[in-house]
Amino acid sequence: MVRYTVRRLLLAIPTLLAVLTIIFVIVRVAPGDPATAALGDYASEEAVQALRQRMGLDRPLWVQYVRFLADLARGDLGRSLITGQPVIDQIRHVLPYTLELTAAAILVGLVIGVPIGIVTAVRRNTAVDYVGRVVSLAGLSVPAFYLGILLIYFFAVRLRLFPALGAAEFSKPGAHLHALVLPALSLGLIEAAYVTRMTRSVVLSVLNEDYVRTARAKGLPERVVLFGHALRSAMIPLVSLIGLFAISLIGGSVLTEEVFARPGLGKLMIGAMKQKDYTMLQSIMVVYAFIIVLINLVTDLLYGVVDPRVRYE
Amino acid sequence: MKNERAFEGWLRTLIEGRSTRRDVLRRGLLLGMGASAVGPLLAACQREEPAPAPGGATPPPESPAPGAGTPTMTGTPEAGTPPPAERQVLNYGANAADITTLDPHFAAATQDRNIVDMVFNALIRYKPGDSSEFEPDLAEEIPEPEETADGKQVWTFTLRRGVMWHAGPQNESYELTADDVVYSLQKSANKDRSAYSADYAGMTFEKVDDYTVRITVDPPLSPTLFLPKVANYNGGFIVSQRAVEAMGDEAIKTHPIGTGPFRFKSYASKDRVELQANDDYFRGSPRLAGVQVRFMSDPTSRELALKSGEMDVVGGVADSTWVQKINEEPNLQADVFGVGEVAFLNLNMAREPLNDIRVRQAILYAIDREAHLAVFGGPPVAESVFSVVPAQFMPGGLTQEEAEQAGVAYGRDLDRARQLLAEAGLGDGFSLTLVTSEMDAYRKNYEVLQEELREIGITVELDVVDHSTMHRLIREDVNPIVIYIAFRPNADVYLTQFFHSDSIVVTGPRPNTNFSHYNQIDDLIEQARVETDPERQEELWKQANIKILQDAVGFPLHYINQVYGRSKAVDYGHEVKSSLALYPGFTEQTTVQR
Repeated sequence: MVRYTVRRLLLAIPTLLAVLTIIFVIVRVAPGDPATAALGDYASEEAVQALRQRMGLDRPLWVQYVRFLADLARGDLGRSLITGQPVIDQIRHVLPYTLELTAAAILVGLVIGVPIGIVTAVRRNTAVDYVGRVVSLAGLSVPAFYLGILLIYFFAVRLRLFPALGAAEFSKPGAHLHALVLPALSLGLIEAAYVTRMTRSVVLSVLNEDYVRTARAKGLPERVVLFGHALRSAMIPLVSLIGLFAISLIGGSVLTEEVFARPGLGKLMIGAMKQKDYTMLQSIMVVYAFIIVLINLVTDLLYGVVDPRVRYE
Repeated sequence: MKNERAFEGWLRTLIEGRSTRRDVLRRGLLLGMGASAVGPLLAACQREEPAPAPGGATPPPESPAPGAGTPTMTGTPEAGTPPPAERQVLNYGANAADITTLDPHFAAATQDRNIVDMVFNALIRYKPGDSSEFEPDLAEEIPEPEETADGKQVWTFTLRRGVMWHAGPQNESYELTADDVVYSLQKSANKDRSAYSADYAGMTFEKVDDYTVRITVDPPLSPTLFLPKVANYNGGFIVSQRAVEAMGDEAIKTHPIGTGPFRFKSYASKDRVELQANDDYFRGSPRLAGVQVRFMSDPTSRELALKSGEMDVVGGVADSTWVQKINEEPNLQADVFGVGEVAFLNLNMAREPLNDIRVRQAILYAIDREAHLAVFGGPPVAESVFSVVPAQFMPGGLTQEEAEQAGVAYGRDLDRARQLLAEAGLGDGFSLTLVTSEMDAYRKNYEVLQEELREIGITVELDVVDHSTMHRLIREDVNPIVIYIAFRPNADVYLTQFFHSDSIVVTGPRPNTNFSHYNQIDDLIEQARVETDPERQEELWKQANIKILQDAVGFPLHYINQVYGRSKAVDYGHEVKSSLALYPGFTEQTTVQR
């Protein structure tokens, strides 16, 4: 397993290099001038020119690229073109918020999705199944940011049960968790729809297995068949799919963070896009790339842990 | 059904341990699990080749919350100032993604101007909520200029005593003196340290004593042009010599040290700036505990946060229907105030067929001011304006009466427009291609223009581009007609930047924003600039505006006011008519009574 892990890490290098190059190019070919975008329409030409010089945008592209890779190799993500602050500081400040939101959304997705998935599978083609499937289909159809706006409107503006702004300081755990509820629901409810669908299909599939039929033939109670035999197997693919959910949710958190004005990688990225902050933008995308690679690796390794039939070779 | 069977088949292989990780990912993504944005895209790019988690970097520790100094001066609180325990923090949702810079001599974006306004002072200031009036700020009074024997002009300012700088990470609080003022104005005049250095050309600054500063101006300027240079706008803000020298120009961009009613407390990128009350403020202790500026670029989020009570003031939407909607809420109030940005046409007289004045006039006669006002839902957000220099906000602009008297009000007259085109030999019309920004204010105005011109036989093809790309392209002279939306602090800046031949795009000696290639009012602009009699100066500016309209090179469509939403629990402490800081103004008198 160690050899496999090392090999996977080494294989990641050329892939990451390709991704980093793509990120570098995409960020620069995007239309618009960062200085003009940053200063707004009120800025004088003099102010725009001064900022452009300060940003070093007059340097050749290849010089910027080599410097980007060299800095990255040293673990230096550079400084924001706009504020001059070290990017790593800003990412380090917001990363816990994004990870926490992702984890909370996964929890919501599993807590809601798994039971509904099981029930709809066990009661296949009944009213419960139909309702569950329709609701999950509706969930799949709603964008997370729109659901976020609806949640804010009903639970923050109308009922005043939760704050509209989705974050509080970590030093205030009560307020922090309170503020996390709506953003986590906004992402997690949609994820629950996916989980419901996946769970239902997996359970249905397992329920048709020979060993389940055998257990029933032995006269075991349906509860024991379901929980003691069927679900144990059914959970294996679900565990491995949590990684995919995490990747999906980290991406989905971009707009959720914006809607809830919540600190996070997504809000940082949207801000960087609006300000044409090249350094910030490419650094955030690099961090995203690293996170996703890491999640993939962990999921792969976890897959082997939960399913002993998998061998790392 | 077929898909469902395929899916179940795949699940079976998965359960049996025969499915690969690649397969799991591929199928998972096909199922739509990765529909949301960046993560899945990247996942798809590089699955199965993970790398170590980002690490290796050892970032410096987070900046400690600044502003923990121990001020040495006790202010004299205004009567009625609540004790500190009762004071509230005002929550302000700014329409911005982040700050750009809090160095006042570079600050240009709205959110930067807002914060700088609360942290810094200047020798004089625009009256809070009214940019048409000055009053003393760090100076004890507004002086009268003196003429020297060699024809120069001298302004002598006497400073207030006991004005204390905010304590910073590398400076204790100390008293402001003439050294700070001279240092700050010299910084403003230095093109490497200020974006507004051109405003200070021909000016020298000297300390007479600790509380007296002399500014010599050559050639002399009228008060209308001089006073804004030492007011709380652009380069006029006074920075602390000790703080800037200790921290450096780079550090003050995110950690400003001023003398204002609120001092900097903390900054979280793309999230917030926190300011706290400066209880040593020379006008008295603020009635707020502080101001928290949250960066909320999504208008729906700002509106909902205002409605939920989490935000006390938010940047609004420049549309009168939004204003109406907010005003229908029992606890909310929309504030609409100047200064307004003027939207105006620039017609390129160097480009055929617009080099014929009849064609330009025909275009102006095709324009329906009401249709352009409707882009913003009409008044109060958008109002008519009758010269590029807005008479509502500054001397030198034309009122409707003045424009009509001078015969340059135009007004929609399609028959006359068609007749002028026919006289120019273009009775069959012609075509234009215009680049526009994707921003609503620009795009919609261009679309209205497109429809107006279609009615007189001019076909306009619009090319919609990113906003900053539009700014670049119009400066490369691609548009025969440019719609520009801008505020400039006085008539001289408007006229110089948009209609002086020096500023002609691409070919001018100092290319700026003269998109019309106009060169017929240079003498009027230059005469007005050195005219020290304010009335005569205003008259010259009006003449210039009339000439612009007579020659049909520039045409005002409307101005667009600032729009904010606030809780009725907020009292700004002043009436808001206009603000150069582009927000209602939070001062020591502002309160929130929740």
